[in-house]
Amino acid sequence: MKRIMPSQHKRAKPFQRSKQMKKGNKLISVLVLAGMMLSAVSAMAGEIRIGITMRMVSENGQKYGQMMMDEIDLINKGGGINGNQIVATLMNDECKSDKGVANANKMIFQKKVHLVVGSSCSSVTLPIVDVTAKAEVPQIVPHSTNSKITQKGSAWVFRVPVSGRFYGGVNAKYTGENIGTRIAYICAADAASQGDCEKMQGQMKSQFGASPVYVAQVQEKEVDFRTHMQKIKTANVDGVMIAALAETMARALVQSYEAGIGPEVRRIGSSSASNSPVPAIAGDAAKGVFFTAAYSHSDKRPIARLFNEMVRKRYGIHAPDHDFSQAYDLIRIVEIALENADLELTSSSLKQDRIAIRDAIAGVRNYQGLASGPISFCSDPAPVCRDGNRTAVLIAYTKGGEKYELEVLARVTMPMDFGL
Amino acid sequence: MIGFLSAVEGFFTGLSRVHRLLPWILAYLLLLPLPYLLKHGINEYYVDLANRACLFILLSVGLNIVKGFCGQVTVGHIGLYAIGAVSSALLALNYNLPFWVSAPIAVIITGLAGILVGLPSVRLEGAYLALATLGLGESVRIMIAVTPALGSSTGLMMIPEPSIGEFIFDNFESYYYLVMTCALIGIYLSFAILKSSTGRAFQAIREDAIAASVAGINVPFYKLLAFVISALYAGLAGALFAHMPPGYLHHNNFTIIEMVTLLLMVVLGGIGNVWGGVIGAIVVTIIYDQTKDYYFYQPLIFGIIMVVMVVFMPHGIGGVVKQAMIKRKFIEKHEEASGPA
Amino acid sequence: MEFDFNSLFAFIIFGITIGVVYGMVALGISLIYSGLDIVHFAHGEIYMFGAFFGLVMAKDMSIPYPAALIGAMVLAGLMGMLIERVFYRRLTRSGGGYTVAGMGMIICGFGMSVALMNVAFLIWGADAKPFSINLGMPLQLGNISIPQSYIITAVISFLLMGMLHFFLKYTKLGLAVRAVAQNKDIAYLMGINVPVFISLIFGLACALAAAAGVLIGPMQSVQVEMGYLMLMKAFAAAVVGGFGSLPGALLGGILVGIFENLGAAYISPSHKDIYAFLLLILVLMIRPSGLFGIEAKVKA
Repeated sequence: MKRIMPSQHKRAKPFQRSKQMKKGNKLISVLVLAGMMLSAVSAMAGEIRIGITMRMVSENGQKYGQMMMDEIDLINKGGGINGNQIVATLMNDECKSDKGVANANKMIFQKKVHLVVGSSCSSVTLPIVDVTAKAEVPQIVPHSTNSKITQKGSAWVFRVPVSGRFYGGVNAKYTGENIGTRIAYICAADAASQGDCEKMQGQMKSQFGASPVYVAQVQEKEVDFRTHMQKIKTANVDGVMIAALAETMARALVQSYEAGIGPEVRRIGSSSASNSPVPAIAGDAAKGVFFTAAYSHSDKRPIARLFNEMVRKRYGIHAPDHDFSQAYDLIRIVEIALENADLELTSSSLKQDRIAIRDAIAGVRNYQGLASGPISFCSDPAPVCRDGNRTAVLIAYTKGGEKYELEVLARVTMPMDFGL
Repeated sequence: MIGFLSAVEGFFTGLSRVHRLLPWILAYLLLLPLPYLLKHGINEYYVDLANRACLFILLSVGLNIVKGFCGQVTVGHIGLYAIGAVSSALLALNYNLPFWVSAPIAVIITGLAGILVGLPSVRLEGAYLALATLGLGESVRIMIAVTPALGSSTGLMMIPEPSIGEFIFDNFESYYYLVMTCALIGIYLSFAILKSSTGRAFQAIREDAIAASVAGINVPFYKLLAFVISALYAGLAGALFAHMPPGYLHHNNFTIIEMVTLLLMVVLGGIGNVWGGVIGAIVVTIIYDQTKDYYFYQPLIFGIIMVVMVVFMPHGIGGVVKQAMIKRKFIEKHEEASGPA
Repeated sequence: MEFDFNSLFAFIIFGITIGVVYGMVALGISLIYSGLDIVHFAHGEIYMFGAFFGLVMAKDMSIPYPAALIGAMVLAGLMGMLIERVFYRRLTRSGGGYTVAGMGMIICGFGMSVALMNVAFLIWGADAKPFSINLGMPLQLGNISIPQSYIITAVISFLLMGMLHFFLKYTKLGLAVRAVAQNKDIAYLMGINVPVFISLIFGLACALAAAAGVLIGPMQSVQVEMGYLMLMKAFAAAVVGGFGSLPGALLGGILVGIFENLGAAYISPSHKDIYAFLLLILVLMIRPSGLFGIEAKVKA
């Protein structure tokens, strides 16, 4: 029997298929190339381009980003800035420095933005400062508190939130004067909490000569603090500072009570204590916890009331924390700066426009918005000029749970060069 | 498409008959003007993308050596990448060593670490080895996260860029030449290993370790060698990553998600196929960049691609292309043979 | 720090309570290993889904906690069976641990884990959600106070494992499961519908993981990222106890729990997670079959 050769079956097909595939592939490559070309050409004139990179995949992360985009939308609907529309891109950096740098590069070089807004995590903002400084693009920071961000000497970065160096001083003063100087510390491994821990310990030392009774370094997403709580219980302290991101802090608070550390030992939070997951998850354990932040929703000013109302209606948040207020203030400051800047907005004026925007932001003086004190920038590439916001509020939780309540204990405006 | 690739392959094979390095030199020359084409044709950002793709090419090709050639299931490769990056950064920051000194030292350190990571492979197989390497990789990351000297939570910053005298590699184009050269050398060496007796030993171990040892191959030695070689690749990629502007390292750059992305590259491109690593790295980098607007769904897309690839296309894109090319060659040969008949 | 026996006792108790939960997840992993010959890397996500199912039932649908526990177990079990049937069936058919298909199973597991985590994120968002149940005041044992939730967790875990043991040893269905786990081909010859039983085993393992999730929920909040870390600890537990051995998984879990708590207490707390990995690697290197496991596959 004759063996059936493959060629007898498949003779015609491969050539036909390859011709079709050739055509198809040609089409695909043309489309891809066209797409890439298009993205280059999309750097059109007459629009102000802003790139926002933030940690979107987190509690409320999306909402902050969404709020900024919504506010920009409203500005556009109201006629834009001097007639020019703002085109904003929102990108997620997952709180990872390499993704953040990639986003910054994409925004600066591909989308050719005039302004970079970023980021929420200090570990992402730190490298982006170098990127924007080298590329000569103004950058305005929405949430990061690590003090090193403005200490790098970049002339292009501006910080809206209160820098960690201010928080430590306020916290320490209140603690030392009202609670005591025997403090235990639980410091989580994220950049912001580490910064807060260091600053607090430093300030307790310089203001009261007090050394920490116990310091524990824990993982960023630690779930089990019982060993630490046990040791702290036996160490007889006046207060426990828990510096961690929101849900980690909440867990630690709950476990501190479960371990039997009574309410007479005050719990002190880092700045992320103002984020809503803390009272929501900690429930009753959040009562009495105090911390420094930039804004409290129990602020009685009309502007704060209106803001709370707006956030509640639009995003379903019961009480906005200072990350919301700072994002909002950022957009307002950017709006003011853009209106004052002398922009040409042609494809050849990119460099000058960026410089103009930088100088315009540096010219913002005594902006009074949701922040608890005035925000002023100046043009020196030093922290005194770049950390515009130096008013901290001391806040304590009076009630925990989903419908939490806070009260403002004190409002302090620190000297510009504090903690340097 | 396949016809085009076959023609290219034929051309390169022809060149290599003249001198075995010729096709590589030609490829290098062809790739040299890429940054200028990208910068002026599209925009500068794509050069940055190309740089990152080259880093991943180095990583995937290295991973392919131990996973694809030698068949050892390792899921801790990102830990080696971290070791390479952090070593080079620390050497440069604390001892002011120039990149050209700190990088080779970092590569050697990573190679030694590769021995450590490879040790479990001597005794373990399959899922057990995966667990051990996963544990090792994660332990490296945690060590970095909690040790202040290694950067801890603020990371290592201001890592100096490489420089030759007055010239500093501080923009995308100049860095491109550095990484592209390394990537190309890495691919070439990978082919060289594949064709050598070492490569054959690796593949023998992959197919059946017991038979290989019976045939006289020193299995533990070759397993460790595979790990060390892949560690060298990872170390080089790490050093290049550390010194890339803006010169910042954080333990978050080396998590399980990054490992899974690396795995995806190798799987997508094709395990066991040198070009597989390259294709996978480029494709995944591009997909990741283009789908940035859909960050909501990115891990889902990646996960589904991985599952689908493993179930339906276990040899990846590289495998499919290779199969198609072999089929085509086979049919052509039969055309010749059964010619006019 | 003076040597404080009270504290030592406390640490051991903490270790046991958390260890029992590790053991339950490890039990699932062990079951899957003996039934399907694969190590399931997405098990942490099943645990996480179980916790969310329980949360949704207890909070949004106001179902009492014990019923929510059972409901979550059933849902997760069904989900697991679906995943096994659709995705893993093809791969497990083509081989266990050494071929490309075997490596494929591991990769598939990773892919599934990443995909599942994203699905959970799309459904429930990234927020950590509180899962609080009112259980009353903590129990006082001398100077140590142990919250009720830990005690309930330990009790229910032991109960579930006891039920599993009973099921496997004394029921006909359990006998079939054990037969399939031991040798699939012979079980086939004996007339057991092996594919159905494989799905069943997988479902059972997933139900156990879900139970662990619902039990842990009140102790730590529920979040889409909780699966990964639990997975590592559970793997360590399963390895220490020995893959394929059910009492081993429980014991392994307890050992891991105690080990990491003692390490955190007396050596260094910031390296806590490394202790579990260290234990894992040590056991794998020295005695891969663990305490009670069947002979591990080691080669030349």
